[in-house]
Amino acid sequence: MKFIHSLCILALLTLAALPVFGQSKDKCEQPILITSAGQSADVTMAAMLCKKAGLTAKAVNRATAADVKDVKTLIIVPGFSSKGLGAAGVSREQEMDRVKEVIAAAQKQKIKIVMLHIGGKPRRGQQSDDFNKLSAEVSVHMIVVKQGDEDKFFSTIASAKNIGIDIVEKIVDAAKPLDGLFKKN
Amino acid sequence: MQRHHYSAVVLLSVGLIVSGIASADFLSMYKADALHPSASLTKSGMLSDYVPALKGTNGDTRVYYYESGNPGATILLLGGTHPNESAGFIAATVLVENAHVAKGRLIVVPQACASGFTVTDPLEGCPTHFTVAAQSGPRTFRFGARGGNPLHQWPDPLVYRHFPSGQQLSGMESRNLNRSYPGRENGSFMEKVGYAFVQMIKKEKVDIAFDLHEAAPEVMIINAIITHEKGSDIGASAVLNLEFEDLKYSLEISPKNFHGLSHREWGDSTDVVPFLMETSNPIQGRMRGITNEKLILEGQDPFYRIAAQLGTVRITYELDGEPLSLRVARHLQGFRRVVEAYNEAHPEKTAIVENVPEYLSVVKQGVGNFLR
Repeated sequence: MKFIHSLCILALLTLAALPVFGQSKDKCEQPILITSAGQSADVTMAAMLCKKAGLTAKAVNRATAADVKDVKTLIIVPGFSSKGLGAAGVSREQEMDRVKEVIAAAQKQKIKIVMLHIGGKPRRGQQSDDFNKLSAEVSVHMIVVKQGDEDKFFSTIASAKNIGIDIVEKIVDAAKPLDGLFKKN
Repeated sequence: MQRHHYSAVVLLSVGLIVSGIASADFLSMYKADALHPSASLTKSGMLSDYVPALKGTNGDTRVYYYESGNPGATILLLGGTHPNESAGFIAATVLVENAHVAKGRLIVVPQACASGFTVTDPLEGCPTHFTVAAQSGPRTFRFGARGGNPLHQWPDPLVYRHFPSGQQLSGMESRNLNRSYPGRENGSFMEKVGYAFVQMIKKEKVDIAFDLHEAAPEVMIINAIITHEKGSDIGASAVLNLEFEDLKYSLEISPKNFHGLSHREWGDSTDVVPFLMETSNPIQGRMRGITNEKLILEGQDPFYRIAAQLGTVRITYELDGEPLSLRVARHLQGFRRVVEAYNEAHPEKTAIVENVPEYLSVVKQGVGNFLR
């Protein structure tokens, strides 16, 4: 009886420890490539957040399939900006094609994709949501500033696709969950 | 004298009286707004100091210099590029009347497009003036047009071809100062004004420059800081710091192929790092109702309120309105945080501007409390 009791306790402890092992196994790795989906300047802020979290990241606004070669994680920062597209000299359609190409390359190389939506309401709406949906659906985790999820757009995708999501109040608050996603070098 | 002669005299007299009143109203817009610079003002000059061809024209405008005497960065701030965007003009006026520079230099031009302050946009039904309760009592300021006065540059071409890019825009944009940079010395009236500002930036070796604007609530780029690519890190840092104070801004990078704008051309043709800031102003919007002085000051419009409540259109409009004090406060706080971010990025050459009213003070006490 004593033996069975001890066995049960051991089994319970093992089960309790499983998520911890799982989490550690599932953690994203560095180096990181940050790219935009919609050419908003939020990419610059995402790079600052990574720097704040002590992560090794390179921001390339118009990253291509070639840029994902030597990286372990791809962070996509979605949000449409007409000025940003103008600055990059590309159309919305060209931008969409590029994002799809980068995602396909990342998936082919089994690189984890994290979606970081920090632009709030200005990066939602008709023009932005195609980019938002595309990058949310392929991600392993989402970090979203609350104002951008007032209508539960991201939460709904997260729950339907069983993707982890952190909703934060402010852009700067995104640094902590971002840090928690990565294995330390 | 026959009966119809009496009728003619009466009708002509009525016509003359109406014309007289209308003329007086039009001419009142040529009366300059009185500004009362702070004791820290070092000197004032004119835009024509940089391009003498502007001297005595309606394109000339007053320039205010604040010099600390301590080496540091030079800041330029323009208000009134679009004279119907009052928060830019008033924020610049608040700086003129309060600023003290402890390090570096500050140059302020509150009415960058002087010509546009002499007219309102046709068919918009906008008031010509608005009055703010200032420290010294009521002060009246002009509410102008988006572009320069057509009487000063006539006629508009069918298509405006920007110099030097050749970009084509609608003819009326030829009077828009913020489509006229970098301008040219022998160009049109507005190109000369644009050219003068670029010469000012070069001659004064301006390090960081601001162009304060407003836009209709339905415009996508609103509550935004727009910068040349060389200012993206400074802009991002400022946006993050503003967010700490619960002030939401979006950062936008100037399109390389959209020419004539300050955030593009100043950055391309000079060493300056340019920033353009936008606030939400219902009087510029298409959905607005009664268009009067109250709308400029209080920024409350019932139709925008309904639109915001319905949420079916994408607008930036607070349910309590977008009052002038709030819009000016945003500009001043944006200015403060961008300068701080610039200083962090350039510790070897910083600028310190003191006595810039805090955001909450302006919102709570009203902008008039910071006007002499």
